[in-house]
Amino acid sequence: LLYTIKFEGIMMYAESPEWSDIVPIPLPHNDKDPVVQIMYSDRFKDVYSYMAAIMEKKEYSHRALLLTNDAIECNTANYTVWHYRREILRHLKMDLKEEMEFSASVIEEQPKNYQVWHHRRCLIEMSGDHSLELELTAESLSQDNKNYHAWDHRQWVVQQYNVWDKELEYVDELLALDLRNNSAWNHRYFVIENSEGWSSETVARELEYAASFIRKAPNNESPWNYANGIIKKNKLRYSDFPKLKELCTSLYESHVPSNFVLSTLADIHIEAENKEAAMEIFEEMKEKDSIRVNYWTFRLQQLQGS
Amino acid sequence: MAVTASSKSEKDKLRKDCAKSTDLPNELLKDKHVRYFKQMLSLLPEAFESHDSTRLTLLYFSLGALDLLGAIPDISDSRKKEMIKWIYSLQVKPDDISGYKRCGFYATDSLPNSVEVNYGHIAMTYVALCSLLILGDDLSGVDRDGIVYGLKSLQLDSGSFQCASFGTESDARFVYCASCISYMLQDWRGVDRTLATQFLLSCQSYEGGFGQNTGREAHGGSTFCSVAALKLMGTFDEVMCEERRQRVLSWCLRRQETGFNGRPNKPKDTCYSFWVGSCLKLLGGQDFINKEGNFAFLMTTQDRYMGGFSKWEGYLPDPLHSYFGLSGLYVVSGEVDIHPALNISMRAFRDYQSRCDVPISWD
Repeated sequence: LLYTIKFEGIMMYAESPEWSDIVPIPLPHNDKDPVVQIMYSDRFKDVYSYMAAIMEKKEYSHRALLLTNDAIECNTANYTVWHYRREILRHLKMDLKEEMEFSASVIEEQPKNYQVWHHRRCLIEMSGDHSLELELTAESLSQDNKNYHAWDHRQWVVQQYNVWDKELEYVDELLALDLRNNSAWNHRYFVIENSEGWSSETVARELEYAASFIRKAPNNESPWNYANGIIKKNKLRYSDFPKLKELCTSLYESHVPSNFVLSTLADIHIEAENKEAAMEIFEEMKEKDSIRVNYWTFRLQQLQGS
Repeated sequence: MAVTASSKSEKDKLRKDCAKSTDLPNELLKDKHVRYFKQMLSLLPEAFESHDSTRLTLLYFSLGALDLLGAIPDISDSRKKEMIKWIYSLQVKPDDISGYKRCGFYATDSLPNSVEVNYGHIAMTYVALCSLLILGDDLSGVDRDGIVYGLKSLQLDSGSFQCASFGTESDARFVYCASCISYMLQDWRGVDRTLATQFLLSCQSYEGGFGQNTGREAHGGSTFCSVAALKLMGTFDEVMCEERRQRVLSWCLRRQETGFNGRPNKPKDTCYSFWVGSCLKLLGGQDFINKEGNFAFLMTTQDRYMGGFSKWEGYLPDPLHSYFGLSGLYVVSGEVDIHPALNISMRAFRDYQSRCDVPISWD
């Protein structure tokens, strides 16, 4: 007998009278020549041998749903089990409120698990109810403000259901807590891109927004990427935004140590076809941003050659 | 696809008790790493149960690492045959009910093939093919039509890819896997390259790097996936104008502090030495990388007792970071040649090249 050990408090499926009608499909095990063989616990083997049998039988019952609870607990990344669970929910035509709670608790436990976030998205698509999602993602982000899954989910909800109105305020809050939160900066770009769009007023406003953060921490990459990104992605010209050049120049002249001041100034000079000024900056960067000395040497040579 | 700790309590378990070390070895501890990966090849402790659904990636990490360390010849021919047999046992055969939709490879034999809902997974198909090539297999046992038509069922209208066709998340990782698979099989019937290319371009954010999806934050992993996929598909030169190239190149270069981070203002992490390092190689920017800095950082995440690498200094090693620590070291130093898009050794790739009827090229 493979399953003779009983854990305290956990009934093995193999010993449960409710499951006596099911013939479990045992997990293969290669003793002689194991290949990345995992030493599964008795519990894992018990749960999955029954999961396999139920899936093969295509039973979509309430007891099968509970079995998937255990299978998910043993291996939360098992995408097949999560899919099968959704099939059960569809078959049973279950009210999804409890399932939403279940998914929220797994998200809390394992916020970087792909499958549970996808499951949550499926539930929302099934029910049409996205009312809890902004709070859910905000809660997740309060634990880890850069959790890629949480941001992905929030962006999906906001775009899919057109709920843009609170987002810029949310970014403001997050940047007040941590102005280096690059994910929040990205979200801001995403929101504006997809709601109000980049009118010249918006561009000017947002460049000033970035500038305000640059003044607070001139060596913070995020607002620099944001400002430079707005200009480059929208195919604008630095010459149309003299305030940015003024900011760079004043920071440069006050000897504020920031490689972003330098590289942005260089880009501004290049656009203005002021080769000499750009070359001077690249020369300076070879020293000041020494880890990238070869790159700045290359940029310098590029200009010298042209 | 990642085989790392996710929950906070898991992370705490992985933290070592010792304080940050001051007398670190200054060389790659090859013997320790060989031992670490050889162990992984055979038996893994109970704790790996939660990684059962990515079990094939564990094979790929160990074979890949042993290959980079020159230790594949240590594996006997009979053992190699056993491994090849096991890999092929995970290949899904098309059936009458799902047609080709299930096709590909799945990660583990815990669920039998007879379970209809046991679909192949695109990332497992990718690592299966890589593992077969590392083991010297000629891919003759691969069901090409099955895989190719299976891929076709995974591509969305946006051009992006899911990982299993019953419906999963979709992002740049799986576009990358689809590109690698098609490239290795030299069969692009399963991928609409125009659509996939369009999708990837839409993932280049205002920062210059690429996110996992349109509008998502630029990230070292997805930037690698996007650039590598465009190169493999052969559409990179056509769609990546000079301006786009400069922006992604400079974004990647800014990831380096000593080691690399994956996003601005995030801490350096072992695996980005490969994701960003290899991406820079693909972009022709490998000479712009500071090799000493990368090496010095990886020496802090190398585990001198157990072998392998951890994500950060002071944490326990795990298979993913152990593989990427090694490949991240070599792709930057150039000491061992790695195919910068496929992520297998050039040795394995050239071996495969020599056995192909129709030449498969990579310059």
